[in-house]
Amino acid sequence: MTETPSVLVIGGGSTGCGIVRDLAMRGLDVTLVEKGNLTHGTTGRMHGLLHSGGRYAVSDQPSARECIEENRVLRRIATHCVEMTGGLFVQRPEDDDEYFEQKLQGCRDCGIPAEVLSGDEAREMEPYLAKDVKRAIRVPDGAIDPFRLCVANAADAIDRGARVETHAEVVDVLVEDDEIVGVEVEHGEKAIGIGDGEPGTREKLYADYVVNATGAWAGQIGEMAGVEVAVRPSKGVMTIMNVRQVDTVVNRCRPKGDADIIVPHETTCILGTTDEEVEDPEDYPEEGWEVDLMIDTLSELVPMLSEARTIRSFWGVRPLYEPPGTGTVDPTDITRDFFLLDHADRDGLPGMASIVGGKLTTYRMMAEKISNHVCETLGVEADCRTAEEPLPGSSDFSVLREWMDEFGIRSPVGRRSAQRLGSRTDDVLGRWDGPNPVVCDCEAVTRAEIHDAIDHSGTDLNAVRIRTRSSMGNCQGAFCCHRMANELIHDHDELVVRDSLDELYQERWKGERHALWGEQLSQAMLKHMLHATTMNRDGDPAASDSVIDFAAFDAGEAAPAAAGGATGDDPDRAATDGGTEGENADS
Amino acid sequence: MSDAENPSNPTPDEQTDFEPVQVFDDETEMDLRPGADNCYKCTTCDTTCPVAEVDDDFPGPKFQGPEQWRLKRKDDEDIDDSITSCSNCMRCDNACPSSVPLSQMHNTARGEYVDKQMDKLSREYLRNRLLSNYRIMAEIGSKVPRLTNFALNNSLVQKVNEKVLGITSERDFPEFAEQTFREWWHERGGAQVSSEEKKIAYFHGCYSNYNTPEVAKALVRVFEEFGYEIAVPRQRCSGTPMFANGMLDDAERAAEVNVSEFSDLIDEGYDVIASCTSCSMSLRQEYPELFEFHGTAEVSAHTYEAMEYLRIHEDLESEIEDASVEEQSFAYHAPCHARNQGLERQAVELFRELDGVNIEDVGDSCSGISGTYGWKDEKYDTSMKIGEEMFDHMEHAEGNVGMTECPTCSMQMEHGTGYDIKHPLQLLEEALV
Repeated sequence: MTETPSVLVIGGGSTGCGIVRDLAMRGLDVTLVEKGNLTHGTTGRMHGLLHSGGRYAVSDQPSARECIEENRVLRRIATHCVEMTGGLFVQRPEDDDEYFEQKLQGCRDCGIPAEVLSGDEAREMEPYLAKDVKRAIRVPDGAIDPFRLCVANAADAIDRGARVETHAEVVDVLVEDDEIVGVEVEHGEKAIGIGDGEPGTREKLYADYVVNATGAWAGQIGEMAGVEVAVRPSKGVMTIMNVRQVDTVVNRCRPKGDADIIVPHETTCILGTTDEEVEDPEDYPEEGWEVDLMIDTLSELVPMLSEARTIRSFWGVRPLYEPPGTGTVDPTDITRDFFLLDHADRDGLPGMASIVGGKLTTYRMMAEKISNHVCETLGVEADCRTAEEPLPGSSDFSVLREWMDEFGIRSPVGRRSAQRLGSRTDDVLGRWDGPNPVVCDCEAVTRAEIHDAIDHSGTDLNAVRIRTRSSMGNCQGAFCCHRMANELIHDHDELVVRDSLDELYQERWKGERHALWGEQLSQAMLKHMLHATTMNRDGDPAASDSVIDFAAFDAGEAAPAAAGGATGDDPDRAATDGGTEGENADS
Repeated sequence: MSDAENPSNPTPDEQTDFEPVQVFDDETEMDLRPGADNCYKCTTCDTTCPVAEVDDDFPGPKFQGPEQWRLKRKDDEDIDDSITSCSNCMRCDNACPSSVPLSQMHNTARGEYVDKQMDKLSREYLRNRLLSNYRIMAEIGSKVPRLTNFALNNSLVQKVNEKVLGITSERDFPEFAEQTFREWWHERGGAQVSSEEKKIAYFHGCYSNYNTPEVAKALVRVFEEFGYEIAVPRQRCSGTPMFANGMLDDAERAAEVNVSEFSDLIDEGYDVIASCTSCSMSLRQEYPELFEFHGTAEVSAHTYEAMEYLRIHEDLESEIEDASVEEQSFAYHAPCHARNQGLERQAVELFRELDGVNIEDVGDSCSGISGTYGWKDEKYDTSMKIGEEMFDHMEHAEGNVGMTECPTCSMQMEHGTGYDIKHPLQLLEEALV
């Protein structure tokens, strides 16, 4: 066989992006298709915890061991996506001592460094913890940005020759002679996103092997192929706070329960979460009580949360899976382990495997295993190198620079830029020619970084958003959505830009509407008024389909002069009285 | 009763009353990120910032305050150096419709910047330390006032100051009085009026002690006229110039003395009165925002500006309506710090009823000097640009005598127009005593 084997990966989440990078590094011809932008599904809707494994140290020790192993790998290969915040399992007076001991022992059994702190010591680390916390176990939890992680994986894959198509939804799985040979995708109507697909068209993509890495959507893809993949989607709510009340991951040390973790994430904190099974991963209720539960329960650990500002809430669906016949009732009891379903073995339908279950922290390990499986099936001999080679942006870098002298930007802006761009900082900021104003004030994103994101993601402003965090701060895009769109206008058609702006604006509103009280209500109202009154965005005729009846407007008193040659005193004079009655009444 | 005799043993709850948020080594460790919650980015603060108005490179109070704090992580040490361009006029505090603690954020950031990033051997640091400890210079200088006045305003000395220290040679140093207010106070034998009910403790600050004792004397005479018993306790600088230069350790030492001295008097029924609006601002707002000495809150709650206090407790309006002075016209400028205390209209409202007086408000712009700010060589031009509007309005006002409560605003007013500048208390003295 002289031709390079081809693989098609469905799903642009962490697993899919990890697989496409892994296979591209092994020299295969890989294509990734994703129906939204990268991280559109579950990956972009998680709390950003880089597990130490501590959370599974009692209930699921194999997962815990995988977590600590991959935690160490990601700290090495994804430095610009990871912030090693450390983590605490905090025990309140009413929490069980025995469980605390089990947790500690479990961590030690799994090789997770664990240290017991007194309540006072924990509060010295995190002063906003409740005064009565009893003690805590310190573990190497961290924070990880799932957006940058996926984007870096995809970018590296593209550099190695992979094709990545976003906004390309799989509409059919192609089966020929009882074998899966590819998929048919529908490219989005609008010319946004990355890839070569012609907008609004369907395209058949053939490959030697197909990987279904669609997580909670795996059942739907399975159905297209005629196989059953019994994913049990389970929703969880996450609430984003405006600032970091804690700089360490704070877990509640008790067996299981809702609302037991606070993760410092970039400039914010994310409160999580709940666990409730849903029918459809795309259509489930998002309810106010879930958000209230988050804030109320976690205020027991960090009391100031009850008064603190929330900027949005979002829901994600876990792609939980258990082998047929296990029969677990409570979704919190379903294993967090992942499963590789080879449809050749399982259903007698070769050419495709599905990967379900799992979690972001172990995405690379999952990708490695499925890539091994793919290579084995296709008879390719190549070793996995993803645990050694850093992602683009994660080579050595420092956030300590002379930002003003070197790049002409303020130091907090430079520091945040470098925390996001990592070793790509010099490339992105240093090579930018021309003025480099801050586009997003809340998150300190400059024009250079926006353009770098546009270069890698096309006109999709939500894709720009996840790459840069622009519009993800406390004003939720009030002051920058339009500025971001403005960066597109020189190279793109006005209608394309307008669509992109609308999509970004709507996406922001999706989460904002769950935080409409207190300061964030003022913020949302200010945003609405600014956009309505200065950009006409509450009813822009140019954005609506209705034809404007220009004739309904008169042209003022001078109109007869212009139109009918009658006399008019001053043709420049505006009609302040609304014009003479009746002139255009019938036209 | 000693602790040993105290019968109540601390309960376990009391023993665990551990509050790490309040036991930081010093105030520069303060975490103000949650303060950013109030900001909804409306930018009103930026539109009222006098520095941002004239200096396009200055990122403005929103960036310096809520944005910079929100972008910080706990261990980040780099505060943007533009914080040193904030003049600490505190107008942003007033402008904010959402109660963001802007000046507290700026003061804390500046303190951190000076503490962790500024070279302690740099000319800038030494100069700022010197300027913010004006009281110490004044203490020495006023021992030999004539010599000091001669020396400081010698053009050669001014040039040396500019070259070596970075203190602008454009300005003339304020002259030291031949007798300080405190010397006068002791010479006259202290308070001349005693009262059980009406007692004030006078926070004269440095300037009216060393440079304009006539203002302090006017205060004494006016308050005694109204039957107040006056105490003039030991005191240090209010801290205003130290905050503005990020010298929070110096400010803390001074504040500790002030709080201790004045809170003792408050316990005895005194209220604290200042004749300088920045001093009263400092005691009222900045102390409780930055320090936690015992008595800080009491001092804050019991501090007033002199005329404000009289307007609350005396029928000053009637007294003024019945009085008259020689014909005179004033161009009145309200200091920014007076504005923050809601005092910007009091002098105009009061004196326009005074027979013989014509008084005009020269508008709501900042004078631009902001204490030590306009004394810095590199800030001088900015300071004068900010002041332009005020100078212009002063020149168009009928009067050719300026009036203001703030010592450094008066320096700027005099510097920009050549007018003599009076303190409202001086006119009050003329009318009522």
